[in-house]
Amino acid sequence: MNQAGISEEEIAAIYPKVAATMADALGCDLEKMNPGARLIDDLGAESIDFLDIVFRLERTFKVKIPRGKIIEEARGDLSEADFEKSGILTEAGLVRLKSFLSEIPADRFKTPLKVSEIPRLFTVETFCKMVLRQQRAAGTAGGPAPA
Amino acid sequence: MNRHPDLDSGLADGVAIVTGGSRGIGRAIVSVLSSAGMDVNFTFLHDQAAADELVASLPGKRVTAKLVDIRDPAACTRFAEQVCERTGKIDVLVNNAGIIRDNPLMALEDEDIAAVLDTNVTGTFNMTRAVAPWMVSKRRGKIINISSVAGEKGGRGQTNYAASKGAINAFTRSLAVELAPRNIMVNAVAPGVIDTTMSQEVREALGETVLSRILLRRIGRPEEVADAVWFLSSRFADYITGQVLNVDGGFKME
Repeated sequence: MNQAGISEEEIAAIYPKVAATMADALGCDLEKMNPGARLIDDLGAESIDFLDIVFRLERTFKVKIPRGKIIEEARGDLSEADFEKSGILTEAGLVRLKSFLSEIPADRFKTPLKVSEIPRLFTVETFCKMVLRQQRAAGTAGGPAPA
Repeated sequence: MNRHPDLDSGLADGVAIVTGGSRGIGRAIVSVLSSAGMDVNFTFLHDQAAADELVASLPGKRVTAKLVDIRDPAACTRFAEQVCERTGKIDVLVNNAGIIRDNPLMALEDEDIAAVLDTNVTGTFNMTRAVAPWMVSKRRGKIINISSVAGEKGGRGQTNYAASKGAINAFTRSLAVELAPRNIMVNAVAPGVIDTTMSQEVREALGETVLSRILLRRIGRPEEVADAVWFLSSRFADYITGQVLNVDGGFKME
C-alpha cells in the first residue's frame, strides 16, 4: 500500500479514460461523471456493473484487477481478524480504510461499517487510484496515453 | 441449410460460440447457425478429423474450429478472448459439449462420476464465465445450454448424467435472473432420444421399448434439436428467458 505515491497529476491524467470507460459500462452521460461521484448512490451502479467496470478497465488499461482487490489492498498487512469481525469493520480496520480511501470525505464513513457496505463508498477516483496501483504493480506505470 | 429462408432471424451479423461442435447435436447446431449467417466458432476435444470435415462441409460460411478443453477455465478464457479480438463480440453461446457414462450407481467408478460432472457442469460454468463479461459489456446476448430430458425424468443407469443435466437446468434459471438486467437471455434445450453416436448405446439397450415411451413414436434428429437452438438464438425469442424447452417428441408423457 503506497498511498503517498499517487499524485493528483497522475489521477488527473488517467481520469478522462477511466471516466469514459465507467460511463460506457453504466450507460450514463459522461457529463454526469466527476471524480467524486459515488458509483452506487450517484451513478446508480449495481453489483453486475462493478464486474463490468472492472472487466472494461482491465482491457482498457491492460491490467489485471482481481475481484475484491480494493478491500484487500485497503486491509494491507492487517490480518482479516484485525480488519473486521463478523462482517463489521474493527476500529483499526476503519482507520485503515479511511486512510486508504483518502479521496472520500470522512463523514461518509458511518460507524459501525459493514464490509459489504464498503463498495457504497467507492467513487470514480477510487477506480482511478486502483488502476494506477495495478499499473505500477505490473510495471506499466503511465499506461496508454490519455485520450 | 436454412430451413426458414423467408424469416429474418436477426442472426446474420452475429457471432456464436458452440462447445462440442464437431459431432452429433453440436454439429447440427453449428450448421444451422452458420446457415443463418452467423460467424460460428466451435470447440471440440477429440475428433479433429470430424471438426475439419464439418468446416469443409460449409463452404462460404464463417465457421472456425478450435481444440479447447472446456474443463480448463483458462483455456475457455483464452478462447473467448481470441474470438472477441477477431470479431469484437459474442452474441450467442451454446453450451453443448457433454459426455455420457451410464451405469447403475453401485457400478459407477469414481472417474465416471467426476468425468460427467466435470465436462457437463464445470465445463458449462467455465465457458459461460469466460463469455458472459463480453455479453454484459454489450448489453446483449443469448446463452443456450443443452440439457436433457434426463435432467427431469428418472432413467436407470443415469444418476451421474441426470444429476449433471438437472444442474444445467438450475444453472439456466439462476443465470437468467442474474443476467436479465443486462438484456441477456438464458435458456436450455432438453433433447429426448436423439439419433447420435452418444445415445447409440442407450437406444440399443432399450430397443423398441424406447419408442413406446415417445408420443411421436420415433427417435429425434439432431437437426430438430438445432432448430430449437436457432429459435432461442434468434430475435423471435427476445422475450423468453429462464426456460427449459423439451425437444423430445413427447417423451414419457403418456
